[in-house]
Amino acid sequence: MRLILIDGPESKRANFYPLTLSRPVFALRVGMSSLAEKLSAKLGLTDVACFIPEYMAAPFALRSTYTVNKVESLKGDDLFIANGRIKASTFTATASGPSEVGTCDNEVCWARINKADLAKLKTDSIEALLASAKAILPNKPCGAEMWNYTWDLILSNPQVLADDFKAAGRSGIEGSVEQPNAIRGDKKNVFIAKGAVVHPMVVIDAEHGPVYLDEGVEVHPFTRIEGPCYVGKKSILLGTKCREGMSIGPMCRVGGEVEESIIQGYSNKYHDGFLGHAYVGEWVNLGALTTNSDLKNDYGSVSVMLDGRTPIDTGSTKVGSLIGDHTKTSIATLFNTGSVIGAMALIMATGKPLPKFIPSFAWYIDGNVTKGFGKGKLYGTAKIAMSRRKCQWTPDDEKMWDAIFAMTAGPRDEAVKRARKAMLK
Amino acid sequence: MANNQEVIDRVVKVTARVLNVDPGMIKAESNFVFDLGAESTQSIQLVAAFEEEFNIEMDAEDALSVQSVADAAAFIQKYLK
Repeated sequence: MRLILIDGPESKRANFYPLTLSRPVFALRVGMSSLAEKLSAKLGLTDVACFIPEYMAAPFALRSTYTVNKVESLKGDDLFIANGRIKASTFTATASGPSEVGTCDNEVCWARINKADLAKLKTDSIEALLASAKAILPNKPCGAEMWNYTWDLILSNPQVLADDFKAAGRSGIEGSVEQPNAIRGDKKNVFIAKGAVVHPMVVIDAEHGPVYLDEGVEVHPFTRIEGPCYVGKKSILLGTKCREGMSIGPMCRVGGEVEESIIQGYSNKYHDGFLGHAYVGEWVNLGALTTNSDLKNDYGSVSVMLDGRTPIDTGSTKVGSLIGDHTKTSIATLFNTGSVIGAMALIMATGKPLPKFIPSFAWYIDGNVTKGFGKGKLYGTAKIAMSRRKCQWTPDDEKMWDAIFAMTAGPRDEAVKRARKAMLK
Repeated sequence: MANNQEVIDRVVKVTARVLNVDPGMIKAESNFVFDLGAESTQSIQLVAAFEEEFNIEMDAEDALSVQSVADAAAFIQKYLK
């Protein structure tokens, strides 16, 4: 049986901007793995194909093992189609069973289609297949909760980390732990993978949650890691105050104080500064002392403006920053509570908390959104950043980012015009 | 099409304001970086200010290759045609 992940509708994908400007929702992380990996594990299906927005298909296919946007993947096998926003832990449907469709708000959340029934359905596109399956096969309620916003992932992260650690079933020290060191709590709650190196003078506090250090992780002296926590392959902690609920993807450099945040991977927060209840994309560099607020002074519910105009009440008193891929901040940048910082943005500190919405590709200078040196210069920087981690910026990356540049032009152009007027007042 | 001297005068006015220098110090041949001390971020602000002053949209990458006040006026003239 083949798992087919779908990514949509666009109105829901936009709830995860700026992170999903450059990836499908199911590639986002929570706990120790991506939403896609969780669904794949839950259903026990390893043959995975997906359908995602065309503009991001080529770069995603390059870095994924999944078959991407190939209509042939809808033929020749039993299929389980699932929306990538399904919370795997709440999903009660199983891979085996009769052909049927799970719906929510009149949309197909999942569909189990046995090969024999495929002949009755239209398979010339994913949209046609879903429509014909919904029309012909028995429908039932979805039976699962969905991820609706990026902050759902952040706020659920501590619990999901604990659940994922349990499901992984790993504990013990396979890497190197140089003494003196301290592991607090139940040692069964700690897993240090092969190739991971923990330097002397590190505290791993697993009293309130598990700690999983993946292969090749390096933990420098004076780091304190508080569980639940996951540190991805080849990431480095540099004297970090790593408080509970952190998920750090592969190849990151993380220092300073971090708490209940998710870092997708390949990003740097090398220096001091606080990051809390945040989601940071890939290839982000947070300059020294960059700090985000995740709690308002009046302890009120945090609102977030995903589109730069409409505040959305998160219902939570703790939400930090959502930062898109390839964004860079200067030293001492201060982000307000619930800030949305677009992708490919370049931020210079002003000494004050910045506006809660900064568009993608903005060069934020002296309190103004500008066009800066243009996207070509940003691409040049991206190429350098990626080559430093032995990754390659490809022509397909450039095409995808050109598409994102066009998609995000509206709020950026408005902000640039506003700033220009203010500049000459 | 605007008179070239008029464009130069307006470029001088904007440059003086953004770089906080005396307009009398700015000549047509003045180099933004070497003569007027523009930092890279101020160059970006200059482009934004010229766009606002002349109500034009310039190509950011091309605009930032402009070196002098006279070059800037000539560059802006292309957008005013």
